[in-house]
Amino acid sequence: MSPQHGSQPIQHQFNPYSDNGGTLLGIAGEDFAILASDTRQSVDYSINTRLSHKIKVISPPVTKEMKLESTDIVGTKNSVLFGTNGFSADGDALTKAFEENWKWYVHDQNSNVETGFEFLNENNEEKESFMSMQSAARNVQHLLYGKRFFPYYVHTILAGLDEEGKGCVYSFDPVGSYEREQCRVGGAGASLIMPFLDNQVNFKNQYIPGTNSTERRKIEYLSLDECLKLVKDAFTSVTERHITVGDGLEIFIIDKNGVRSEYHALKKD
Amino acid sequence: MNHDPYSWGRPSDAMYGQYNNAIANAPNTLEHHSSGSNFNENTTRPIVTGTSVIAIKYKTGVVIAADNLASYGSLLRFQGIERLHKVGKTTVVGISGDVSDMQHLLTILDQLEMENNYDNDEYSDNVDELQPSYIFEYLANLMYHRRSKMNPLWNALIVSGVDSKTGKPFLEYVNLLGVKYASPSIATGFGSHLAIPLLRKLADSEEEAAELTLEQAKKGIKDSMKVLFYRDTRSSKNYSLAVIDKDTGIAYDNNVDVEDMSWKFAKDITGYGTQRV
Amino acid sequence: MTSVGTGYDLSNSVFSPDGRNFQVEYASKAVENGSTTVGLKCKDGVVFGVEKIIANKLLVPGKNRKIQTIDRHIGCCYSGLIPDGKHLVNRGREEATNFRNTYGKPIPVSAMSERLSQYVQAYTLYNSVRPFGISTIFGGVLKTENGGDNKPELFMLDPNGSCWGYKGIATGKGRQTAKAELEKLITSETFDFSTLSAKQAVEEVARIIYLAHEDNKDKDFELELSWCSLSETNGFHKYVPEEVYNEAVENAKSAVGLADSDESGEEDMEVDAQ
Repeated sequence: MSPQHGSQPIQHQFNPYSDNGGTLLGIAGEDFAILASDTRQSVDYSINTRLSHKIKVISPPVTKEMKLESTDIVGTKNSVLFGTNGFSADGDALTKAFEENWKWYVHDQNSNVETGFEFLNENNEEKESFMSMQSAARNVQHLLYGKRFFPYYVHTILAGLDEEGKGCVYSFDPVGSYEREQCRVGGAGASLIMPFLDNQVNFKNQYIPGTNSTERRKIEYLSLDECLKLVKDAFTSVTERHITVGDGLEIFIIDKNGVRSEYHALKKD
Repeated sequence: MNHDPYSWGRPSDAMYGQYNNAIANAPNTLEHHSSGSNFNENTTRPIVTGTSVIAIKYKTGVVIAADNLASYGSLLRFQGIERLHKVGKTTVVGISGDVSDMQHLLTILDQLEMENNYDNDEYSDNVDELQPSYIFEYLANLMYHRRSKMNPLWNALIVSGVDSKTGKPFLEYVNLLGVKYASPSIATGFGSHLAIPLLRKLADSEEEAAELTLEQAKKGIKDSMKVLFYRDTRSSKNYSLAVIDKDTGIAYDNNVDVEDMSWKFAKDITGYGTQRV
Repeated sequence: MTSVGTGYDLSNSVFSPDGRNFQVEYASKAVENGSTTVGLKCKDGVVFGVEKIIANKLLVPGKNRKIQTIDRHIGCCYSGLIPDGKHLVNRGREEATNFRNTYGKPIPVSAMSERLSQYVQAYTLYNSVRPFGISTIFGGVLKTENGGDNKPELFMLDPNGSCWGYKGIATGKGRQTAKAELEKLITSETFDFSTLSAKQAVEEVARIIYLAHEDNKDKDFELELSWCSLSETNGFHKYVPEEVYNEAVENAKSAVGLADSDESGEEDMEVDAQ
C-alpha cells in the first residue's frame, strides 16, 4: 500500500545488524588443524581497526611443563579454536556464550579433581576431561538455533583435534546447520578462497595425468607446511581483491603439542 | 481487600448493556493494560544529537575531544552541552548520538561509580577502583543488550583512560549495535571519515602510538577538530578536550575554541548556492 | 522485667495491658550492649566515631570497617546487631538512588531520616518480623550546588522508629559517659558551633570515645573516625586521613592519661589501612 493511502503509517525500523567484513578460514590436517583470519574490522567503507581478534582460543590452563617444551604455546591440545565472522557484536556474544558453556562443562565433569578412586582405572585410561570437538560443535548448534528467529548473524568455524587426535574443522551457518569438513572459508572472502581450497585441499577437478580426465587424483592429507602456504596465499590474494580483507593475518595451529599462533602483516590499503 | 480498581467490578451487562471497550481504548482484560497500539514505541531515530567524538592514544595516556553542541536536526539547538564525562578516577567517556540517551547513560554511570565507592574508599588498601576496562565492558554489554531488545540507545561511545594499576592507556569504541573495537585512534560519526586519516598518519599501530608525545597527540586532535568544524555542518567551534595521563591524571578543559582557521578557500568554492560562476 | 512470662513480650503487634511493646524494648537491650558510637556536628559538617571492640585477636587490624556511607554525602554508624545495620544501610542506599532518580539531586539528610525511620517503624507492627536491633547515628551535609543548604544535619534512629535531630549524640555501651561529655562540651560557655571546625570535632569525638572506654578497660579496641564536611571533604563522607587520625588519637590518649601507652593497635590499623 502506498503511503498516500494513509491508513498505515510508514515504519522506520531499526536495523540491528551490520556487516563487519573480514574472512575466516579453517583447514584440518591429519594430526593438526588450522584456523586463520584477517584482523581488520570494518563497516561500509571505513576501517574500524586494523587489529581485532575474530578467533578465540578456548583452552584448559597451559602448564609450565608445556611452556618448557615450547615457549609460544597459547593453548593445550584439548583447546577449541573458536572463530566467528560477520556481524562482530553477535560474534563476540556467541564466543562469550560458548566459552561460558565450555567452562561449565568442565566444572560439571569434575574433570580436574582427584577423586581418590583413580586406582579403579585399571587400564590407566586417560579420563575425558574437556569438551570434545563433537560436543563443542553440537553445543554451538544449540546456541545458534536457540536464536533461530533473531539469528546471530555470523559464519562460525571451530577447529581442534577430535577424540582420535585427528585434525577437525566444523563449520556453521547463522542458524546452526553444521558439518564436519576438511576445510572451510567463511565471510567476505569465502567466494574467492573456497573454490581455490576445493582444488588444493580436496583435489577437486584434479585428475591423474594421462587418464583423459577419467581418474580423479586420490585425496591425501596435506602437511602442515603445505597448509600454511595455502593459508598465506589465500589471504594475500583475497586482500588484493576484497576491500574488507587486509591489515593482518592471524593463524592458530593446533596439534598434539598444543596451540601456537602466527601473525603476518597484510596490505593495509 | 484487593485494591486494584480493575477488580472493583463494572455495572452488570443486564442493566446497562455490554461495556464498550472502544471508548478511550479501555482495556478489556485485567491482566495486561495493553497500549492499544501495536507499534513498538522504541527509539527508531535520534532526536537531539551530538556529533563526532575523536580520541588518540599517546605514550602515557589518551587525548579525547568532542564539541559542546547538541543539534535538533540541522538546528543548532543547545550550546554548552558537555559530551565528555569523567567516570571514576582515570576514565573519560565520550558520547555522540542521541542526547537524551546520553543523559540516561550518565545516570547509570553515576550509579555505577557510587556503588563502586561504597566499599572502596581511598584509605583502605583493598581498593578495586573503577578501571576504564570495567566501564567499557559494562557499557558494551548494556549497548548490545539494548540492541538485542530492539530498543537501542542511539549512541556511539568512546571509552578512554589509563589503567591505574598498570598505567596502560585504554581506548575502545562501542555503538548502538554493540559493535566494539580497540584502536590507537578512534572517532565516531563524521570523525571516522575526516579525523581518522589524520590521526592514523600520527599513529597507525600500537607501537607507533607508544612513541607519540602528548604535544603531538594534542596537536593531532586539535587539527582534526578544526577540519571537522570546516566540514561538518553539525559541529561547533567550541569544544571540550580531555587528557588522561598515567602520571598527571585527568586534565579537562571544557572551553576550547578551534584556532588558526583560514576560510580563504571558501571564495573559490563554486557550483552551488546563490553564487553565479 | 515484671512482665516477662505474661506472654505480652513474645510478639510485635501485641500491646501489653499497660501499653508497651516489649519486643521493641528488648531490641533496645541489644543496643545498650553494643559498641559505643558517637556523632557530633561542627560548623560545616558532622563527625562520626566508633569504638570497635576487638573481639578476636585473629581479626585483621584496620579492616572490618563499621562506619558506612549511605550516599556520597551521608555517613552512618550504629551500635547493636551489625547485620541489621548493614541491611538498613542497604535500604538507605536504595532510598538515595530512588530519590536521585526521581528528583535529579542527592537526597537531603532530613528526607533520608524520614524514609529510614518509616522503614524501621514498620518492623514494629507485624508479628511476623522482629524489630531492628540497632540504634543508628547518621548525618552529613548537602551542598547548595547539589540542591542542599550547606547546613550539617545529624540524626539518631532507634529500634522503635523514632528519629531525632541532634547537635551531638551517642549510643551503645558507653553512651552515658559519652552523652554526659557531649552535654558538658556543648553547654559550656566558651562553646560555639559556628566556630567548631571539623578537625576540632574529630579531636572531641576521639577523646569522648576514649573516655567512654574507661568503663570497659579490659577489652582492647580500635577507634574508627570519619567525617563529612564542606571544608575538609568537599561535602563527601570519608574516613579521616592518617595524620588527622593519629593526632586525634594522641591527644585523646593524653586527655584520658594514656599517653604513649602500650595500646599500639591504632597505629597498626592506620599503617595497615594505607
